[in-house]
Amino acid sequence: MKASIASLYESVELIQPIKPLIIGERCNANGSKRFREALLEDDYDTCLTIAREQEAVGAHVIDVCTAYAGRDEMKDMETLIPTYSSSLKVPLMIDSTTPAVIERSLQLYPGRCIVNSINLEDGGVNIYKVLKLVKKYGAAVVALTIDEKGMAMTAPEKISVAKRIYKIAVDELGLRPQDILFDPLTFTIGAGDENLRDAAIQTMDAIKGIKEELPGVLTMLGLSNISFGLSPASRKILNAVFLHEALEHGLDSCIIDAAKMMPLASISEEDREYCYDLLYDRVKDPEKSPLLRFIEHFSTAVESKNDGEDEKWKPIEAQLYDKVVTGNRDDLEDILDMLLQRRSPIGIINDILVPGMRHVGELFGKGEILLPFVLQSAETMKASVRYLEPLMEKSDESDRLKILLATVQGDVHDIGKNLVDIILSNNGYKVYNIGIKVPAETIIQKAKEYDVDIVGLSGLLVKSAMVMSESMSQYEEAGLKVPIFLGGAALTRKFVAESCVPGYTPPVVYNQDAFDALKKVRDFEVGELKATTWEAPSDAKVVKPGVKDASIIRTNPVPEAPFLGDRIITDIDLEEVLALINKQALFRGRWGYRRGKMTGEEYQDLIRTRVEPLYEDFRRQFLKEGLIDAKAAYGYFACESRENHLVMSHNGKEYDYDFPRQAEAPFLCLSDYYKSAEEGGDVAGLFVVTIGEEVSKRTAELYAADEYHDYLMLHAFSVEVTDALAEYWHRRMRQELGISVNEPENIHGYVTQQYQGSRYGFGYPSCPDISAHGLVFDMLKPERIGITLTENYEMVPEQSTSALVAHHPQAKYFAV
Amino acid sequence: MKKYICINCGYIYDPEAGDPMGEIPPGTAFEDLPDSWVCPLCYTTKDNFDPID
Repeated sequence: MKASIASLYESVELIQPIKPLIIGERCNANGSKRFREALLEDDYDTCLTIAREQEAVGAHVIDVCTAYAGRDEMKDMETLIPTYSSSLKVPLMIDSTTPAVIERSLQLYPGRCIVNSINLEDGGVNIYKVLKLVKKYGAAVVALTIDEKGMAMTAPEKISVAKRIYKIAVDELGLRPQDILFDPLTFTIGAGDENLRDAAIQTMDAIKGIKEELPGVLTMLGLSNISFGLSPASRKILNAVFLHEALEHGLDSCIIDAAKMMPLASISEEDREYCYDLLYDRVKDPEKSPLLRFIEHFSTAVESKNDGEDEKWKPIEAQLYDKVVTGNRDDLEDILDMLLQRRSPIGIINDILVPGMRHVGELFGKGEILLPFVLQSAETMKASVRYLEPLMEKSDESDRLKILLATVQGDVHDIGKNLVDIILSNNGYKVYNIGIKVPAETIIQKAKEYDVDIVGLSGLLVKSAMVMSESMSQYEEAGLKVPIFLGGAALTRKFVAESCVPGYTPPVVYNQDAFDALKKVRDFEVGELKATTWEAPSDAKVVKPGVKDASIIRTNPVPEAPFLGDRIITDIDLEEVLALINKQALFRGRWGYRRGKMTGEEYQDLIRTRVEPLYEDFRRQFLKEGLIDAKAAYGYFACESRENHLVMSHNGKEYDYDFPRQAEAPFLCLSDYYKSAEEGGDVAGLFVVTIGEEVSKRTAELYAADEYHDYLMLHAFSVEVTDALAEYWHRRMRQELGISVNEPENIHGYVTQQYQGSRYGFGYPSCPDISAHGLVFDMLKPERIGITLTENYEMVPEQSTSALVAHHPQAKYFAV
Repeated sequence: MKKYICINCGYIYDPEAGDPMGEIPPGTAFEDLPDSWVCPLCYTTKDNFDPID
C-alpha cells in the first residue's frame, strides 16, 4: 500500500514520482520572522497568506509551528488548523513537541497529516505518548535522530538512534514503516567548525544506511542548516547541490523555503565543483580549506549581480556590517579571519565596523532602534576590535582622535561616562577613561600626558555641575587648548552656556547623551564644533515645578514616634521591596525600552516578549543569588525649625541642618514643614538604606568584560531596586508614625506621592547640599551596615540612598 | 487626548487634569505644552515622555 497523506481536498503521496516531497517551512514562529510577527499580532489572515504563498510555489505539505514564548500554542493551533484545513489544498504537518497540542491538532484536522516530531531526548518517555496519538488518529510522524546524549553527529550514531525509534514505533506500537519519516539532521559546514567538516557526508551516509537497514521507512531533512553562516546567494546554490546529492543517497522529502529552491540545472559546472568539494570535504589546495575556497569563489562570482549594490561591497564585508548592525556575535571570528585575507585590520575597522556603528547611531537617532540593541551592536564591534587589535601595527593607532573621559571630583557615578566611552571607542576613537572622583589637577595632567584632542567631563550630582563650572578657570590657567565636553543628569544647556562657557577659551560643549557626544566629536573633526549657547525659548515663563502652596499649616498634629534615637535593621523582606519597583521608569528610562515609533500594540508585544522576561530573570537572580543584602539605618529625632534651619537632638547633642530657601514664590524651605520651639517642636525621621556592594562588583565585572548590554541592564536594575528599598523603608516609617491611613494602591501612587508627607534625598533638588550627609552619618552611624562616606560626602557602596522624612501633610517634592 | 508617561520617574501627564504645579490648565494637550515645561516630579524635559494608550 502506497504511503500517502491527505487534506480535505486531495491526497499526496509521501514518495513523489519526482522526489523530493517538499514541506514548506515558513509557517513557523521560530523560523520565520514574518509569520512570527503576524502571529504576535493575532493576524491570522497573514498566517494564511504565508501558507498559500508556499503552496503556490510548489510545497506539497505545509509545516505549522506556533510554539513561541509568550504565545498560547494551543489556542493558536486551534485557530489556525480549521482555517488552514478549509483554505489550503495541501495537507498539514503539525509541528509541536507538546503531546496535548498534538492531540488537539489531530482532533481538529479533517485529513491525514504528519506529526513533527518525536525523538529520544528524554530517554523514551514522550515518544510513547506522541506515537500512541499518531496511531490513534492514523497520522504519519517525523522522527529526529536525537537521544539522551543529544543530536547524533555521525552516521553510525544516527542509524543506531533511528533503529531504537523504529523498534518502539513499529515493533512495540504497531505503526507501519512507511508512517515514519526519519530526519537524520544536518549541521552547518559553512561556519568553519573543524568538527563539522564532514557533517554533509555523515548525514548522507545516514540517509543511505537508514533506508537500507530499515526497509520501507522514509527520510526527511531540514536542508538549509547545511549552509548556515554563508552568504544568502551562496547558500541557495549549496542547498540545491546538497539536495541533489542527498536525493541520490535516498532522501524522500525535505523541509525548506519552497520559494528559495533553485533547479540544479541553473548552476554552472564550475559552481557545482566548489559545492562538491565543500560537501565532500575534498582538499584541493593545502593552503586553503574547501570552505575558504568556496567562500572566495562565491564572494566574487555571485553577489555582484545584485543591482544597485555598491561594487566594493562583497558578501563577507556585508555580513560583518550586518552583524554589527544587528548586534550578532555568532561566527564573528570566522568572518574576521576571512576578511583578514584581503584587508588590513585597520581597514576592517574603518571601512566596515565604524560605518556599521554609524548606521546604528543614525537608527537610534531616528528612534528606529532602542538603546539595548545599540549596546549589543557595540559589543559586536568591541569583540571584533579585540580580535583585530593584536594584529594591528602600532602606527595604525596614532592618527586616531584621542579623548579623555573622567567623572569629576566628588562624584562616584560612572554609568553615563562609561556609555560615552562605549559609543566613542566603538566608533573608532581612542578613549582614555580615567575613572571617577578625578580632581581637576589629575585631569589636566592626564590630558597633557596623553596629548588628547578633547576632554569629556561627567557627573550626576547637582554638586558636580558646580564642580565643573568652578574648575573652568583652572583648565584655562593650566593652558589647556582643547574643547571640553560636559554631560550629566544635573546639567542643562542653559547652565553650561551661562556658567561654564565663559570661564574657558576653547569651546565648552553640552552633551545631552552619548550619541550627542558622538555627533559633537564629528563636528570637531570637520572643524564645526562650537561652544554651547542658550537662548530662552520664546514661550519661556520660568515656572519652578513642585508644590505651589505658600501657606504651610502650623496646627497639624505631630505624630508620636515609636522611639527616639537610631536603629539598625538587617532583616528586610526582599519580595516586598521588589514589589515596589517602578517598572515604567526601569523599562523606559533606565533600560531604554522606549516606545519610539512603535504602535501601542507593538510596544506591548516588545514588553511582553522581551522586557518582562528579562525583568523576571533579574528578579529571580536577585532573590536567588544573594545579590541584594538590604539593610537600613534609621531613626526618629525630636526637632525644631529655626528659620532655614532644622535642628535635631540626639544623645544630648544638637545637629543643625541648614536648608536653602527658594528664591522665588512660594519661597519654600524644608524647615517650613517642621514646627518651631514656640509651636511645640516636632519629630523628624532620617534613614540610610543600601542593597550592599555585591551588585556593584558584579556590574563592574560586566563592564570590564565588555558585556555592555548586560552591564547597563544590571546597573539600571540595581538602581531601581535601591529606589524601591527607599520607597519600602519610607512606607515602614509612615506605618511606625501612624500616618499610613491613605496609602497608594499602585506604583504610580507611590511615584506621585499619594501618601502623607514626603522624603527628601540629600543632594536632590529640595536639599542639594550633599555635605549634610556628614550630620546624617554622625547621627545614624550607617558604617554599622557597611556604608561609608567619601571625602566628598558621597555614599559607598553606590547602591545606597538617604532621606529626611517629613510627616507634614503638605510636604511634597519641590526644587530650590 | 493622549496621556504621556515620564520615562525617568513614571509620572503620567493627563491632559484632562493639566499640571497645576507647572501652571498648566486642565484640557491642555501634551503637544501643546510649552517647550520649557518639565516633569513636575523629577524635572526632566518633554522629550523624555512616551505616549501611552
